[in-house]
Amino acid sequence: MELQKFSYDNKIVKQFAYATMLWGLVGMLVGLTAALQLFIPALNFDLPYTTYGRLRPIHTNAVIFAFVGNGIFMGVYYSLQRLVKARMFSDFLSAIHFWGWQLIIVLAAVSLALGYTTGKEYAELEWPIDILITLIWVVFGWNMFGTILRRRERHLYVAIWFYIATFITVAMLHIVNSIEIPVSLTKSYSWYAGVQDALVQWWYGHNAVAFFLTTPYLGLMYYFIPKAANRPVYSYRLSIIHFWALIFLYIWAGPHHLLYTAVPDWAQSLGVVFSVMLIAPSWGGMINGLLTLRGVWDKVREDIVLKFMVVAVTAYGMATFEGPMLSLKNVNAIAHFTDWIVAHVHVGALGWNGFLTFGILYYLIPKMFNTRLYSNKLANMHFWIGTLGILLYAVPMYWAGFMQSSMWKDFTPEGQLKWQFLDTVTKMIPFYAARAVGGTLYLTGVIIMTYNLIKTVKMGQFTANEQTEAMALSGEYHAHAKDHWHRWIERKPIQFMIASLVVVAIGGIIEFVPAFLVKSNIPTISSVKPYTPLELEGRDIYVREGCYTCHSQMIRPFRSETARYGEYSKAGEFVYDHPFQWGSKRTGPDLAREGGKYPDSWHYNHMLEPNSMSPGSIMPTYSWLLDDDFDAAGIAAKIRAMQTLGVPYPEGYDKIAEADMMKQAEMIAVGLKKDGIETEPQKEIVAMIAYLQRLGKDIKNSEKAQLTK
Amino acid sequence: MKYMSNTKWLLLMMAAPMFGWAQQNNSAGSTYFSNALFNTLLVVIIMLLILVVVLSNSIRNIIQSDYFKERFKKMKEMKSGKNLTLLFFILFASQLKAQTAAAANNTIGGIDQFTFYFLISIVLLEVIVVILLFNILRTYTINELSVVMDPEAKAAPSKPERTILDVFNASVELEKEEEIMLDHDYDGIKELDNNLPPWWKYGFYLTILVSFVYLIHYHISGTGDLQTVEYNKEIAAAKLQVEEFMRTSANNVDETTVKYLVEASDLEAGKQIFIANCVACHGKYGEGNTVGPNLTDNYWLHGGGIADIFKTVKYGWPDKGMKSWKEDFSPIQIAQVSSYIKSLVGSNPANPKAAQGDLYTEGTTPAMPADSTQISALPADSLQKQ
Repeated sequence: MELQKFSYDNKIVKQFAYATMLWGLVGMLVGLTAALQLFIPALNFDLPYTTYGRLRPIHTNAVIFAFVGNGIFMGVYYSLQRLVKARMFSDFLSAIHFWGWQLIIVLAAVSLALGYTTGKEYAELEWPIDILITLIWVVFGWNMFGTILRRRERHLYVAIWFYIATFITVAMLHIVNSIEIPVSLTKSYSWYAGVQDALVQWWYGHNAVAFFLTTPYLGLMYYFIPKAANRPVYSYRLSIIHFWALIFLYIWAGPHHLLYTAVPDWAQSLGVVFSVMLIAPSWGGMINGLLTLRGVWDKVREDIVLKFMVVAVTAYGMATFEGPMLSLKNVNAIAHFTDWIVAHVHVGALGWNGFLTFGILYYLIPKMFNTRLYSNKLANMHFWIGTLGILLYAVPMYWAGFMQSSMWKDFTPEGQLKWQFLDTVTKMIPFYAARAVGGTLYLTGVIIMTYNLIKTVKMGQFTANEQTEAMALSGEYHAHAKDHWHRWIERKPIQFMIASLVVVAIGGIIEFVPAFLVKSNIPTISSVKPYTPLELEGRDIYVREGCYTCHSQMIRPFRSETARYGEYSKAGEFVYDHPFQWGSKRTGPDLAREGGKYPDSWHYNHMLEPNSMSPGSIMPTYSWLLDDDFDAAGIAAKIRAMQTLGVPYPEGYDKIAEADMMKQAEMIAVGLKKDGIETEPQKEIVAMIAYLQRLGKDIKNSEKAQLTK
Repeated sequence: MKYMSNTKWLLLMMAAPMFGWAQQNNSAGSTYFSNALFNTLLVVIIMLLILVVVLSNSIRNIIQSDYFKERFKKMKEMKSGKNLTLLFFILFASQLKAQTAAAANNTIGGIDQFTFYFLISIVLLEVIVVILLFNILRTYTINELSVVMDPEAKAAPSKPERTILDVFNASVELEKEEEIMLDHDYDGIKELDNNLPPWWKYGFYLTILVSFVYLIHYHISGTGDLQTVEYNKEIAAAKLQVEEFMRTSANNVDETTVKYLVEASDLEAGKQIFIANCVACHGKYGEGNTVGPNLTDNYWLHGGGIADIFKTVKYGWPDKGMKSWKEDFSPIQIAQVSSYIKSLVGSNPANPKAAQGDLYTEGTTPAMPADSTQISALPADSLQKQ
């Protein structure tokens, strides 16, 4: 064995740390703007780029992939080098990773603002960016495994188990969910349709939470809490059990986002039970984090880093207990589609991810700059403002969600719905305002932190390459007398990765294969026909404007929903929906059976000025739909893409689609003219009206057909 | 070891009657799970059960710890005494069950008396057991600990006490940490090898058990209602409830019995409904706008008699964009708003929309306009169903 001298790369950690702070500020500012728009709709400035439907995906993508994403890389690049006693494999790969990821973020923000979206939540980015993400992710993995393979530490610490599982699972999720057929550089259709698309999407969506917001952060917790507290990790065997149980069980729980929908019952039940079983493995992480602090609780009162981390881990515990509760069908029946869910995710995002990131930043920056924190007082202020912000955010949202759901479900003794949907919306406004106050406080805290850290940076002297030394690994390993069985795999990074992949692949395979192959899971409905070219164009506009961020297209089998919206949604109705548009939030009413509910003229006026048709509505204006022309020439390519996906348009239909499209548009324009509305047929509003008037009609037609029989 | 087997025995005792209950009520079983009270009690029972298991294990841990190895022998008599008490309570509870079973007749909170009292007695029993265990635990930890440590306490006063939390988690004492310290060292991070906290471990087992029961309940035994059945039941129950209400209510009108209401109060109520719901499409004074027709002239698309208007409001004309309001307003409210609309005829507001439909004179049935479905209908091109 020889003693080797080498250095840790701090520069890349510093870069990711700065990016974390920058994107954190941007993402939260966008979130705050979206929150304000919910009670001041005019804040969209009548511009498509800043309207809620496009802003909300920018907010979610920015905080998840830009803020938390850079946070992960910051923590991983710092801790990995030290845990394996090796410099990062390649400074060049590190640089590609860093700049590539920032490029993705910028492209994402610009393309989402322009309306280039796949319409799948948390996976909105279009196919060229999807490919770029895959490449950069591979660079990250390559760099990470290169480092691990050159390690000077025989065994992999628990934090690295979580990093490996994160890498391999996110790769799997991203690739499977992003399979789409390109129509142009900026437009693609999801390979999957309807129920299958929903299953794949929420398998992805749920596990993006699991493997982007949870497992990497648990890894960071396992490094930074023991370091900051200077205490041994509480229980090695708990680490082993909760790690494997967590990654195995998490994958299955996706369908809990689809309870009471048209997804088959068996899949829903799997979603429920695997969520319930997740409580203990999730709490295993919390316990191991909190109990590591045994004996140093007096230190927690003093140390700002530990303070943030303790609140983070506690928020993690609360959110992971609430999650399984929300997965119970009777609780889900109340909470789903309401602001309750918004509160739930923000406890996780603001509490767990946010506070853990802040804790790490407060730990790393002074350390790397060889100085102390500029102001403990400001950091304390940040802590209290942030905590207060989370509370002020969450409490009104819980209240609002529960209240709105109760109003939706309220019947008079005569059997009528007690509240119009609009009544339930106007009641939400004070809560939305309170939430925005909470968000403002939280953001203020982050601004204070940024100032504090900039001042710290100015005070200190940065060490770009931290010199260190360690023994090289000798060729062979001789176990001590009594070695834990799990130590074997801790010595084998590649086997570890393969084992994780097998463990996380099982759940998805068992849920998808029957859903794709067994016909009875999606009973066909003969009256359900493909969209007409104009309707398809309208649907693309619907997707572009992010209507799904406020409107669901899924009527659940409850009396309160069938009374309000009509017959509950059936699996067979969505077979031509690439992508599905069920949505996850009802800020506005469900639109699954919007077709024929109002005249064309109503929709025209409503898009121009929602308040004229629905006084008190908080929907923003979509005046540009009245001015802009849709792309009639582009429809042929779209029809061909749909044909590739198996949508049964007749052979050669792409050639006459444009003519069909304009014929239908003319008819709608003529109809509008009868009501005194002048519009040219090629305006986007006409396509939008065609799509909205088609929604849910197929099944109504089948009812009519049955009646006449 | 002896305590461990006691725990299992205790669990079995608790579980056995539950299985008995499940069989007994097989036919009605499915409805219990939709009862809020039943579910609440069940959850309470399960929570308490977890607490019992945790406490029992904590006690086991204490007993097996070094401090008590010595004192353990001396306490033997006392311990068996407590076991006897436990047994007594369980027997007592089964007596209780037998008694209440005889008097089962009525329902409480939607579940029958027998089930209710049975569940309550389980809860009570568990509460008693928990209190008992807590007492044992307290005696074994706090009091005994101080006694044990008393002689040492003078020598080393700073020695921390073993807290209830440590007992709950079966943690090794801080000062004995070195014994379970592994030889791992990652950038200075060391690892202990503490036990899995018993409450965590048994909680995990419990969720796995619950999952199996859940899947069996819904997908194998068929005792649980899947969502379609649940929906049909909800609708049937609501229908019954509304019918029951309507039988005793004066509110019951339909299109065959509706009369033009001329009372000022009815017209005022109708006006309020109109302002809140109709003006967007029919104008503030019913004059019509780009969306809906004029309601103040004598021309009607679907008839201008009170029964026709009532029908239009109630069922809507979905093809023309008139929504059905029967899920939103009660029959009497629909009669009120229909009457208000009828009262508007001849009011001659400003900016009236041009007449649509046919001239209506009282007493005639309206003719269906031939093009009624044409206005907003979509073209019947090659793809649209005919």
